[in-house]
Amino acid sequence: MVAKNFVFLGDRLQVTGYRVKNGQMKIQQMAVMIVAVFFFFILVGLFFLGVVFKDVKGSAGDLQREQAISSMSVIADISELNYDSSWSMSVDEDKLRIMSGDFGKNYDLFWPVASIGVYKVYPRFDEIKKCPGVGCNYYEIYDNGQSDVKTYSSYVSICERIRESGSTYDDCEIGKLVVGVRSLTEEMGNR
Amino acid sequence: MKSGQFSFVWLFAIVAGGAILFLAVYGALRFGDTARFQSDSEVAKSIAIITDPLQAGFAEGSFGKIMFQQETRINNVCFDDELGKNDISVSTWSGIGEEWNLPGGATSIHNKYIFSSGKSSGLDYYVFSKSFDFPYEVSDLIFLTPENYCFVNMPGGLLSLNVPNIEVDNCSVVDSVRVCFGSGDDCDVMVYGTCSGGCNSVYDEGIVAKDGVDMKYVGDLMYGAIFSDKGIYDCNVRRLMYRAGKIASEFVEKADLMDARNCNTNLKPDLIAWESLVGNSSVDDLASLRSMADVIDGKNKKEGCGMW
Repeated sequence: MVAKNFVFLGDRLQVTGYRVKNGQMKIQQMAVMIVAVFFFFILVGLFFLGVVFKDVKGSAGDLQREQAISSMSVIADISELNYDSSWSMSVDEDKLRIMSGDFGKNYDLFWPVASIGVYKVYPRFDEIKKCPGVGCNYYEIYDNGQSDVKTYSSYVSICERIRESGSTYDDCEIGKLVVGVRSLTEEMGNR
Repeated sequence: MKSGQFSFVWLFAIVAGGAILFLAVYGALRFGDTARFQSDSEVAKSIAIITDPLQAGFAEGSFGKIMFQQETRINNVCFDDELGKNDISVSTWSGIGEEWNLPGGATSIHNKYIFSSGKSSGLDYYVFSKSFDFPYEVSDLIFLTPENYCFVNMPGGLLSLNVPNIEVDNCSVVDSVRVCFGSGDDCDVMVYGTCSGGCNSVYDEGIVAKDGVDMKYVGDLMYGAIFSDKGIYDCNVRRLMYRAGKIASEFVEKADLMDARNCNTNLKPDLIAWESLVGNSSVDDLASLRSMADVIDGKNKKEGCGMW
C-alpha cells in the first residue's frame, strides 16, 4: 500500500511525501532568496547609478557654464557682430539691428549658448525696451526658449560710424553682452 | 547526505553565488564603459571650450597645446549643410581586443572650423589658429594635429607663430611629416604656389598635394589643407564660403542703414554679386573668388565710412 503523497520514480528511488514537501519548500525558499538577491542588487545598482549620474549632470552643467563664459569674447568678436576686426569686445550697432531681426534666425543652430542679448548701460533705464522701437535699449540676438536660464555678462562697446561735416568718426556707447547658459536637462526633456 | 546527492544548500549557493558574481561582473563592466564614455565625452566638450581662447581674434594667430595622460584619438566629422558643424569625439586606447574603445559622445561645434585628420591619435595635440579674411574677416581657422612637421624651403615670414611641432628646414625630429614648398626630397606633402598677381607671396594661392590628392587653397587655408584630410578640408571650406555669403548679405542690409545716416557706401552692388557667388562655392572656385575679393577689399579701403 502506497501513501497518497508518495511518488514512485522508477524502481530504485522512492521519494516520500515528507521529503517532497521538504524539497518543494527549499526550492521555494531558494526562489524567493534569488529574487530578493536580484532586487537587492538592482536597488544597490540604481542607487549607485543615481549617485554617478548626479555627478554627470553636475559635470555637464559645469562644462556648459564654462562654455558660456569662454564664449563671451568669441561671440563679441564674431564677424556678424564685431565692429572692427582690430578691436576686441566691440560690437557694431548696425549689425545688432540686423541680427536682432529676421536675419538672425539663420544662425539659430550656430550659437553654443541658450541666449544672447546686448543692452545699453547708459543712459540708465528703468525697464528693458526691446529693439527695434523708439527709445529701445535691448537687442535680443538669440533665445532658444529655455526657461530659468542662468546668465553671465560682460561689458562691450556698442559702436557705429558717423559722418558729419565731411569727417567720419566712431560713435561708441557702453553696453553689456549677456549670454545664457544652455540647460542640457531641459534640452533632453524636449527631445 | 548520500554520496552523489546534491543538497539544496549547495544548489542555492551555486545559483545565488553565480547570479551575484554575474551581476557584479556585468555591472562593473557596464560601469567602466559608462565612466569611460562620460570621461571621453567630457574631453570632447573640453576641446570645444579650450579652443575658445585660442581663436586668433585680432592677433595674427594663436597657439596652444593639449596634453593627454594616455594615448587619445580625436575624431572629427564635418557636416556642410548651411553653416554646418564639426562633430568632435574622443576615443581612448584600449589595448585589448579592439585597439581603440568606442568614442564618447560627440560635441557639435557650429561656430568653429576645425581642420584635422578625420581620426588623429597621440598624447600631445598642437592647436593653432589663423584668421580667414575673404575679403572681410569670415572666421578663425583652427588647426589641430598631434604630428610633428618639417617645413622644407618655406618662404620666410609665412608662419611666424613659433609652433613647437613645426620645424623649418633643419629638422631634428626623425618621424616628422615633411612638407616641401615647391621642391624637396622625401616629401610627404607638396605645396605649389600659383599666385601671380597682387600677391605678397607666390604661396598666397596654390595647391597642396597630399596622399595622391590635390587640395586648392587661398591664404591661410594652406595650413588647413596641410593638416587635414581632403574630406574635412573640402567640407570646412564649403562651410566657410556659405558663412562668407551670409556675412555679405548682412553687409548688404548694413549698407542701407549706413546710407540712412549719410554714411554712404558704393559697395552694395559688389556685395550682392559677391554674396550670390561665394555662398554656393567650393574649393575649386577659391582662386577665381580671391581676385574678386581683392577688388572688393580695395573698394572698401577707399570708402569714407568703410563697411568693415
